Amino acid sequence: MKYEVIVVGAGHAGCEAALAAARLGAKTLIITISPDTIGAMSCNPAIGGPAAKSHLVRELDALGGEMARVIDQTYLNIRRLNETRGPAVTALRAQADKKLYQAEMTLRLEREPNLTVKQGLVTELMVEDNRVTGVALKSGRIYQAATVILATGTFLGGQIVIGNIKYSGGRQGEPAALELSESLSKHGIKLRRFQTATPPRIHQRSVDFSKISAQPLQDLKWGFSWDGLKNELPQTPCWLTQTTPETIALIREKINFSPIKSGAVVSQGPHFCPSIDRKVINFPEKTDHLIFLEPEGIYTEEMYLLGLTTAMPEVIQEEILRTIPGLDKVEIIRPGYAVEYDCLAAWQFFSSLESKQIANLFTAGQLNGTSGYEEAAVQGLIAGVNAVRKLRQQAPFIPDRTNSYIGVLIDDLATKEVHEPYRMMTSLAEFRLFLRLDNSLARLISSAENLGILNQVQLAQRKKLLSEAEELADYLKQTKIKPQSNFWQKRNMINPERGVRLNEIPLRPELSERDLADDFPEILNYSAPMREYLWNETKLAGYLSRQQTELAEMQRLNEIMIPVDFDFIKLPKISEMGIKLLRKVRPLTLGQALRIPELTAADQTVLLLFFSDHYKNSTFALDKVSSDSKK
Amino acid sequence: MFNNDTIAAIATSIGEGGIGVIRISGTNAKEIGLKVLKNKKNQTYMDFKTRQVYYGKVIDYQSGAILDEVLFFYSPEPRSFTAENTLEIQAHGGVYILGKILASVLSAGARMAEPGEFSKRAFLNGRIDLMQAESIIDLIRAKTDKAQQLALSQLTGRTSAGIFQLEAEIYEILVKIEAVLDFPEEGLPEIVRQDFSSKIKNLSLKIAQLLSDYDQGRKIREGITIVIIGQPNVGKSSLLNWFLEEERAIVTDIPGTTRDLIEAQIQLSGIPVRLIDTAGIRETDNPIEQIGINKAKQALLEADLILWLLDISQPLTEADLSLAKQFEAQKGLIILNKTDLPRKLDQTNLNEIVDWPVFETSLVNRIGLEELEQEICTQVGIGKLQVDERPLLSRIRHKQALQKAQMALESFQAALELQLSEDLLAIDLREALTALAEITGKNVTTEIIDGIFSQFCIGK
Repeated sequence: MKYEVIVVGAGHAGCEAALAAARLGAKTLIITISPDTIGAMSCNPAIGGPAAKSHLVRELDALGGEMARVIDQTYLNIRRLNETRGPAVTALRAQADKKLYQAEMTLRLEREPNLTVKQGLVTELMVEDNRVTGVALKSGRIYQAATVILATGTFLGGQIVIGNIKYSGGRQGEPAALELSESLSKHGIKLRRFQTATPPRIHQRSVDFSKISAQPLQDLKWGFSWDGLKNELPQTPCWLTQTTPETIALIREKINFSPIKSGAVVSQGPHFCPSIDRKVINFPEKTDHLIFLEPEGIYTEEMYLLGLTTAMPEVIQEEILRTIPGLDKVEIIRPGYAVEYDCLAAWQFFSSLESKQIANLFTAGQLNGTSGYEEAAVQGLIAGVNAVRKLRQQAPFIPDRTNSYIGVLIDDLATKEVHEPYRMMTSLAEFRLFLRLDNSLARLISSAENLGILNQVQLAQRKKLLSEAEELADYLKQTKIKPQSNFWQKRNMINPERGVRLNEIPLRPELSERDLADDFPEILNYSAPMREYLWNETKLAGYLSRQQTELAEMQRLNEIMIPVDFDFIKLPKISEMGIKLLRKVRPLTLGQALRIPELTAADQTVLLLFFSDHYKNSTFALDKVSSDSKK
Repeated sequence: MFNNDTIAAIATSIGEGGIGVIRISGTNAKEIGLKVLKNKKNQTYMDFKTRQVYYGKVIDYQSGAILDEVLFFYSPEPRSFTAENTLEIQAHGGVYILGKILASVLSAGARMAEPGEFSKRAFLNGRIDLMQAESIIDLIRAKTDKAQQLALSQLTGRTSAGIFQLEAEIYEILVKIEAVLDFPEEGLPEIVRQDFSSKIKNLSLKIAQLLSDYDQGRKIREGITIVIIGQPNVGKSSLLNWFLEEERAIVTDIPGTTRDLIEAQIQLSGIPVRLIDTAGIRETDNPIEQIGINKAKQALLEADLILWLLDISQPLTEADLSLAKQFEAQKGLIILNKTDLPRKLDQTNLNEIVDWPVFETSLVNRIGLEELEQEICTQVGIGKLQVDERPLLSRIRHKQALQKAQMALESFQAALELQLSEDLLAIDLREALTALAEITGKNVTTEIIDGIFSQFCIGK
């Protein structure tokens, strides 16, 4: 059988890759070790959350990805986080019904025209003349394809660790993909080991809820997807407890059983997700670590213990848990564990996510050194899109880092060496204020239209939302509050000397959108996210315009292309070190090249002067990268 | 833009010193040297040894005529200032001879260097960083011992160290903010805005200190400008001459004869001072005189100190008052000259016109002049100008970056007071840091680079 695109792995990256490719019209095959675990949430049953994870999901949705729509139909609760810290970092988090999420995602894959789902364990990459031609399965079957996308997650060379016990596995109870690593290495792809870990899951009935507190629920009318919430679902809360001095004392006593202490785990795990063992080692004086008890679904009694990641031996895990309020009679269903896996060393792929060693091979997700469902999903979409674009001899789609977190993530992965799994944080973006949840549709609508993953109906609905925003903007501009209006007295404010337009209201820190809606209920006819979008654009106008010049400068540099086959030795006066670095990274734009952290100021200057002078106005038909930056 | 072609230029200031240097840098530096240099016996060299000083003659490449006796030495790449093959020829100063030698070198195959091109190459070859490149401009321009010390201290990167410390302290605050932005619901310590406010106030003071250091640095490098004003015939030219201790301006009592500005370079306590004597500023219909007056007004606006000279033997006139009133915002001294003559000037209301200290002198009898000189030094802060352990900043780009950082910190303070959200607070601090990074060459943009290198004189 010959396919246009084969996707290996059906996790969050694989699903988005396969759906995007199929929706772009490519004949696509997705291969998974187990069709029962498509879209599985191996760790925390949640989408979005702090940092820029929810931003990624909204952006993904704006481009035509699936994650947002699925979580909007399968959440157990949904909340807005961090609102007090400002609009740039306001985030969404949904607790997922993990089994429903999986089922929903599986259905969408199975029902997608152009997409075939097959069970299989890929053992080998078929490569001819440094170009991928297909994959071979453990069963002996070979599938041919013009492009292959690898999204192997923790399964590539996966090894489970609990205490000092280590055995092969991609996820607890599931086999790892062992042979494929060797096949990749054979073709010159460099691998390294990363590690991640997950907390124990416990039985709900063993929790004493009288000793712990429920996190308040929120009533949200709008979720992740720009399609809007189809139905509001009944919500179940998460619960809060914390460790005690006894917990810490016990962990300290048993610390030598921890794989990070015993040396059973040597590879690098994510700093932002430390195990409880690590927390006790690094912050010995802190005893009250927050623990969230999270429901995992309506068809299960399991609960997830956020904040209690550990790969200690199972017996000790139980002892530790029982020192925590509410968990004194806890029943563990699945113990926590760590998993070590193979992923790509730095600089193995271009910012298009295509491999540098093997043409037409794309990679996404944990294999590329990231952590998190959201980070994986957006890479899946980009890999899917670029595989199809490669087939059609179109320039790759490389989102600009000034215009989306997807752009920041992909640019960082292709440019910088990371030493632990990469997580999308808002602090990694230079222009955080421009990359908000509320404006993600406006930012990416033209890219979405160019890519063509969304169908005409979906696009039209989204454009309608944006034109609604324009209408609302007009209304706010044209409507005035008179100086003598009782609007001011009601709020104990001094009557202004002149009439105030409604679009000036967001500039007054003491007034909120609520104030506006109370006196001008007409605005409630407009949808909540568009009201939020306009409110923030107005409120932040001063800061936004302050950063505009700088943003435009970075955009300009990102638009200056470097030919994909450019030999950096041609750069006059470049240092030896500079040549080495540039040959490794092989940046596709001047902007990307300048962001290589190890590059010296002198080498940066060489690049800057050479490319901005010689290539500013020229075009490289073959290697021209399309950019989604707003023109 | 940077091929390895060989460039040449006169590397010393034209018209200064007894020796002039022609510097040749690039792939063919040696070959070009072999074409224009002869040994004592007028024989052609076969080769130059590395970094050995030769004594020989330089010829006109076209005619073969001997131009000058010279010392020269050759350094192959990368062990030279530009990290390229470099030949330096030391000749006898004069503009005419140096010009002839350069012309000969150019006709032998070198290209005339663009302004600052030697330093640009040194920078691009990784020999020096941005800050050092700038310091070289200072070193080259240094006219006095103190300026040279300053330029050298900057080469060691001490200035950068001061900025790094400032950076570190801002990062300390920013990191706290960034943490709560990206990690909500983690039980992080709450942001204490009052703490930030007082810390940032301290940092603003540090920047203010760096900025005043900058000002001192500028004074050491560029010198101080002092302008003498006053009605015609009160003794302005005599004062200038006293400073110069030579007859350079005409001393006359015909009003308006000193039409153009007379400018002189002097040194006060080792600091270069531009002393400008203005034409008498007064209403006039004479267009030529008017030009002199306009020039004088311009010089006054740029002056670090104004010396207002009055004739104590004449009553104050309306012209005197309106003249001084225009510059009351600037620093100045009032000098009552001609104390050797009978007093007719009522000085009781002088300080209501301008709030400047008053001195009495007699230029004819040389009375009160030492005290005046000391007061001038005090007024412009010359006595305090020392190359000390604090980082000194002496380039305009540094000043602008510091000012930008300071503005960002002010904006941060304002945002704190307005209770704005943390995502906005972070922007101000990031902006301050971006500005500071510009000093150390972290954010190199084409504009900055071109700006720096266009400041270079040819061949420096």
